[in-house]
Amino acid sequence: MGQENWRQVKEIFGDALQQTPEERPNFLDRVCRDDKKLRSEVESLLASFDDATSFMEQPAAEKVASLIIESKHLEMGKRFGHYEIIKQIGEGGMGEVYLAKDNKLDRKVAVKILNEKFANHESNLNRFILEAKAASALNHPNILVIHEIGETDDIHYIISEFIEGETLRERLGKSVMNLGEVLDISIQIANALTAAHLAHIVHRDIKPENIIIRPDGFVKVLDFGLAKLIGQKNRSLIGLDESTLKQNDTAKGVIMGTINYMSPEQAKGEQVDERTDIFSFGVLVYEMNTGQTPFASDSISETFANLINKEPLPLARFAANVPNELQHIVAKMLRKNKDERYQTIKGLLADLRELKENLSFEEKLERSAPPNNENATAILQATTGDVNKRTAETQHSFLQPIARKPFAAFLFAAFFVAVVGFGYYFFVANNNVTDSDANPLKSIAVLPFVNESGDANFDYLSDGLSESVIDRLSQLPQLKVIARSSSFKYRGENIDIQDAANKLGVQVIVTGRIIQRGDNLSIRVEMVDARDNRQVWSEQYNRKTTDAFAVQQEVAQTVSEQLRLKLSGAQEQKLAKRDMVNPQAYDLLLKGRFISGKGGTDNKKKAIEYYRQAVAIDPNYALANVYLAGSYRALVGHSVLNPKEFNPKAKAAVQKALELDPNLPEAHLMIGHQYQDDWNWAAAETEYKRAIELNPNLVAARNNYSFYLSIMGRHDEAIAEAGRTKELDPLTLGNRVAFGLALDRARRYDEAIAEFKKILEVDKNYYGAIYWLSYAYLDKGMYREAIDSFQEAIRLGGDNPSNQIYLGASYAKAGEREKAQAILKQLETSNEYVSPGELPVLYVALGDHEKACASFEKAYAAHDLQLQFLKVDPSFDPLRDDPRFQDLIKRVGLP
Amino acid sequence: MNQTHKITLMLHEWSDGNREALENLMPLVYAELHKQAARYLRRERQNHTLQTTALIHETYIKLIDQREVDWKNRAHFFAIAANLMRRILVDYARTKHREKRGGDALTLPLEEAALVINDEKDIDLIALDEALNHLAEIDEQQSRIVELRYFSGLTLEETAEALNISRSTVAEDWAMAKAWLRRELTR
Repeated sequence: MGQENWRQVKEIFGDALQQTPEERPNFLDRVCRDDKKLRSEVESLLASFDDATSFMEQPAAEKVASLIIESKHLEMGKRFGHYEIIKQIGEGGMGEVYLAKDNKLDRKVAVKILNEKFANHESNLNRFILEAKAASALNHPNILVIHEIGETDDIHYIISEFIEGETLRERLGKSVMNLGEVLDISIQIANALTAAHLAHIVHRDIKPENIIIRPDGFVKVLDFGLAKLIGQKNRSLIGLDESTLKQNDTAKGVIMGTINYMSPEQAKGEQVDERTDIFSFGVLVYEMNTGQTPFASDSISETFANLINKEPLPLARFAANVPNELQHIVAKMLRKNKDERYQTIKGLLADLRELKENLSFEEKLERSAPPNNENATAILQATTGDVNKRTAETQHSFLQPIARKPFAAFLFAAFFVAVVGFGYYFFVANNNVTDSDANPLKSIAVLPFVNESGDANFDYLSDGLSESVIDRLSQLPQLKVIARSSSFKYRGENIDIQDAANKLGVQVIVTGRIIQRGDNLSIRVEMVDARDNRQVWSEQYNRKTTDAFAVQQEVAQTVSEQLRLKLSGAQEQKLAKRDMVNPQAYDLLLKGRFISGKGGTDNKKKAIEYYRQAVAIDPNYALANVYLAGSYRALVGHSVLNPKEFNPKAKAAVQKALELDPNLPEAHLMIGHQYQDDWNWAAAETEYKRAIELNPNLVAARNNYSFYLSIMGRHDEAIAEAGRTKELDPLTLGNRVAFGLALDRARRYDEAIAEFKKILEVDKNYYGAIYWLSYAYLDKGMYREAIDSFQEAIRLGGDNPSNQIYLGASYAKAGEREKAQAILKQLETSNEYVSPGELPVLYVALGDHEKACASFEKAYAAHDLQLQFLKVDPSFDPLRDDPRFQDLIKRVGLP
Repeated sequence: MNQTHKITLMLHEWSDGNREALENLMPLVYAELHKQAARYLRRERQNHTLQTTALIHETYIKLIDQREVDWKNRAHFFAIAANLMRRILVDYARTKHREKRGGDALTLPLEEAALVINDEKDIDLIALDEALNHLAEIDEQQSRIVELRYFSGLTLEETAEALNISRSTVAEDWAMAKAWLRRELTR
């Protein structure tokens, strides 16, 4: 029906409805005249309308709400624990796959829902869970990370990371793959299989559908352990005769798809082991090179026969420039007898790597040999400051097909280039040292790299990169590196470099910016000598987003080289060791540190979640274990976490970290804390010292060591340590507070008061300064000022028993005993935890030594941490001659 | 930028012809509908009635910054909600349909029996969905009226307001769409 016609029908229909049924025939006679078609159309609609009285009058929407809620199938927006389904992204043999958002960690995940069919077979299900659990423990960057396996409302599901990318199947369908790409992908798959086989997990279903390639080239292997179920199913299907299969294209497609990648022993229904994966992988490598699988045929039976009997055609039949080595490798993977194949994936991986290295070396050779002036310039540029124009030309470019060369010639040329290249480098580097030796650079600040990607998701990466440059530089002796907490105050675009350098007390400033285009990350780092505002060095690194590590290493190392600090062999090793971390785990650590740095207990809790994930992915990640322990300890300190449960956890995490990396300064610092909490004073000191030795610029270690020295009564050392911290991190008020505190503990009250007042000039509401200033007043005997100041601290959010105790003591000493008594009464009946180690401050101020000693006993029994101040708190001076007090100090182990 | 503002912006973008904005908007609207529906069900469990109009209205108020929208955006929003409601119902019907046929293609390939999921007096939602697609080709306004009326439960007045047309037009179009669809379904 045309538009014109429809409009006519519509008009007449509308008018006819206005008539009574009796009037309608006459009306239609009038308007339709001779147009019978028009009339019959309207009449049929009218008849339908009369029948349709209740039709659609009850809105279908009435059912919607209950459907949204009760439908077992996951829909957009449906919540699933803390996951929110966004959309379906796939449907496989075992169930549906959805993209979902993990609201807890604010990231995308994939949710795989098991078909009811699978889930209904209990034995299937148990095996599935067992295998999936084993697979989820694999922790390898090339293996899809499984976050969770579970069941809710009878739905069995697997939550895994969500990978944006294409399957190898899709990639194969697009264009011919070049040798570089094939090797790159193959090595990553081999890496994944190595990890799995090490854990005795056989994939059983290696095929292009189970390989995902991210846009940046990173490869993920999916569905480990899930294959066992599918494998069994397929085996039973092979028994079907072909005529049945022909009737059903879908089924046939599935079987064909799978049989092409099956090993002979799999096809025969025999026992399979790791070597089956090697065979299927061989088919994959074959297909990537040639665009077709080696045994495929039009019929299943023929394919089957080929698989069992026929030797595959050589790769060279289908692709030009296939290196002989690769032909050997593939042939060895595809041996029908599994005893003749590669026996372990490790052997295969080694061969693939060697091939890749040879080829890339060979390619470099072609680009750079023989050395000429152009090359000399490049080397020169790389080692002098004049590299502004240079953009990274180091993108992996061996992605082009490579022509083969006789190996001997290749070796010789390589040697030649190496020697000549080294000569140039040596010459230039030496020259460089002499020209500026007179003016060595000794202090440096790395400002937070600016994230110009426009994507806030990269904030943590830009922060993380700058942080890790700081971390690395901090490990160098004889170099003052400003701590993150100070240098990170200079955030953003328009920083006055010289002003920043002055305030931070450094000669050199490093800045960086991160630009992201698609999957490309471009990092530009610049080093400026603030004394004459001269750019000393700059470099641009173009990398894929996954290469954050490599970039980190390069930047830190290049910057440190530029500083002409000679890395000893041992130090290089240490730097390298820290980098052997799973990139995902590293990523999570950065996220955790980023969010933890925002402050607040909620953020700390979120950070714990990230650290836990990091440790789960890479249990061997020492630093993540330390951060996890640190967060536990902090939240136990804030009474957010239960000490009984989480102190042991914190200890276990640190122990683990130390086993993994005995030279990790942060681990030693954390152990120091724990020893101190345990009143194991000597051991604590050893750990703090070790942490500082390992990283002289670790501010937290110095601060804590200073604090430790104070409570030990070693005041001069404490002040020296705190002074050093203040110098390293001058803009962090907390460090200046620590310095003031060391002065106060040393009973140098006037200096302490002056220091705290200076801090308050910068920030009049800085709680730490007000709080400790109150103590200094009290200790000095300025009780009025102490009362005012404690009240101010309480007003600023410090209304806790500790401040009340000291306020009460101030009142008592100022002669206002009633007020002190009132506070005491309140504290004694308070529901809050009042430290029995601190309450004696008020008892002593009121002259009640008996109660003070009784309270101390309680504190001792409860291992109250306040007892660490016994030796230095002037509040206890009146008790110092009491043998009970002396005995207590001895028992706590203070000197 | 808060969520409301973001969603309102998306709505504007979509109104201005950006298809991608709709893609982004859909899940958010769905999520809110879902939340509101759950709330209603909890509250109104006893009498089993559900004020769907109220459901959509509340979702609308919750998600969209009222100061920044005009009738056109409003109409677009209701169109989304109505379309979502339609999808939900039809998908549900499809699922049921599939279940009755028994399972996935791998094991149950050969049978092509058409099973009617609904009781006789119920409407076959899958067929209705197809007929409605067909109607949209002939008369888009009518199909949208059906979505708003039938799948979202809007009254004639509300539908008129959402589409910025007169109530009588809605009434006429609704009558004809009903007649037309009914005829299609009984053919």
